[in-house]
Amino acid sequence: MNKTSKDSLEKPLPTPDGDSQVFWDGLKKGELLLQHCDDCGHVQYYQQRICRQCQSVNLQHKAASGRGTIHSFSVVYRAPGPAFKEDVPYAVLLIDLEEGPRMISSLVGKDFNALDFDIPVKLKTIRVADEICLPCFELTIS
Amino acid sequence: MANSLRGKVAIVGVGQSPTGRVPGRSPLDLTAEATLNALADANMEKAEIDGVLTGNAFASSFHRFSVALSEYLNIQPSYSNTLQVSGATAGAAVNTAAAAIHSGLADTVLVACGDSLLTGMTPDMAMRAMTESRDQQYEMPFGIPVANTFAMTAHRHMKEYGTTSEQMAQVAVTFREHASRTPGAQKTELITVDDVINSKMVSSPYRKLDCSLISDGAAALILTSAERALDYTETPIYILGGGEYYSHEHIFLMPELTQTGAVNSAQKAYEMAGVTAADIDVAGIYDCFTGTVLMMLEDLGFCKKGESGSFVEDGQMTYGGQIPTNTHGGMLSYAHPGIPAAWFHFVEVVRQLRSSCGERQVDNAELGIVHTLGAGFSTQATTILGTQSTR
Ligand SMILES: [Zn+2]
Repeated sequence: MNKTSKDSLEKPLPTPDGDSQVFWDGLKKGELLLQHCDDCGHVQYYQQRICRQCQSVNLQHKAASGRGTIHSFSVVYRAPGPAFKEDVPYAVLLIDLEEGPRMISSLVGKDFNALDFDIPVKLKTIRVADEICLPCFELTIS
Repeated sequence: MANSLRGKVAIVGVGQSPTGRVPGRSPLDLTAEATLNALADANMEKAEIDGVLTGNAFASSFHRFSVALSEYLNIQPSYSNTLQVSGATAGAAVNTAAAAIHSGLADTVLVACGDSLLTGMTPDMAMRAMTESRDQQYEMPFGIPVANTFAMTAHRHMKEYGTTSEQMAQVAVTFREHASRTPGAQKTELITVDDVINSKMVSSPYRKLDCSLISDGAAALILTSAERALDYTETPIYILGGGEYYSHEHIFLMPELTQTGAVNSAQKAYEMAGVTAADIDVAGIYDCFTGTVLMMLEDLGFCKKGESGSFVEDGQMTYGGQIPTNTHGGMLSYAHPGIPAAWFHFVEVVRQLRSSCGERQVDNAELGIVHTLGAGFSTQATTILGTQSTR
């Protein structure tokens, strides 16, 4: 039972689908795309074909400003599986984007002492595979 | 409510397997043993079971655990399903079994689950258990185990209401004290608030002793119609109300981090039962983490929003307090074999309502609540249980 297979050592990577391909393509250009609804004005994260507020299909992709604040956070010390062992400790963030939506992300760097609720952060994309860049965040130096 | 389950269905048998560290026993084996014990408890032959509901087991490769369990027991039910709403599966399965019986889809339903998270997992199975329950696109790439979703809600609760690590620790201390009186509990040595605070950080603000155990084990419940219940037992425990709520999938779409869908599921269950939180004598509350219990005490209506920390410090969650909770020790101290964990909350509340708990008996327990939840508060299921006199 102590055999560790190759699979369990690899981090889960997103597999873009019909809903999300454009989102992951945007990140490769450094853009965090949000969907803006032409009909009701709702702004949503993550990508899907219909507006979650009014079900309209008239959604426009627009790049987020990349500015947001930390709604909550948790520093992970115990890795969720062997693939994350090298990374601990790392901070997972719940970010409130300037445009309204909330998202999960992680902190660039390990300045955990500077972490706090409701403080500003900004987007920094991190390439984790040939075709995948993750939308991570760093603390805004004020 | 046009239609109600109130008093239509009763739990007539409960059983469990050995729990804790139980090496060399498969999830099906453990679940079958729990089932045979529940059948014996109900003085029932297995052929009388015509419905089977289970959750899935991480340490089992069967996709249809309920169907595999039926074959293992050599029974052929006319109603079966393997439910998946994470930690809320227990409550959802009991509610659904009651509905199936009330509607005539089945007469007698086995609601069972077992797993061997502690000794039966290969590394790949463990990895799957830890990561597959979060979205692979928008959550998991950031290294967010399910623990982390609960940690972030608790953290925000601390920020908004001044809840402290010491108050959360008190939950673990109380349940450990409860477990010390429960035969078969996995952890029985008493702990202090300092022990919790000094244990290793896992995912802030949660430390090791704020987190539930990892265990092997299974439990089973047998439900039948109120009409038939007295054929099996002198102390049927009736389903008086059920309610569920599924407010989001991704943690970032949880409407508010510090208030959960338990408010909604409980409201529905209380309404069906015709009772309020103040009427409840004993509770089983899903306790994957200490802070989870605090938020549930608020959302189930046992104390006001933001006041759960002092409520627990005042001893309101134990004997002599307002709502003795998890008198078996819960997932923090009794056992946490994964999805089956909340089945033990049902077993314990049933035993309390039967007045069969010996030295850990809550005085005059007539009305009980079991609340199960999962996946970063995405899934919520509440069940109100009561004795013959409350029906
Ligand atoms: Zn819209």
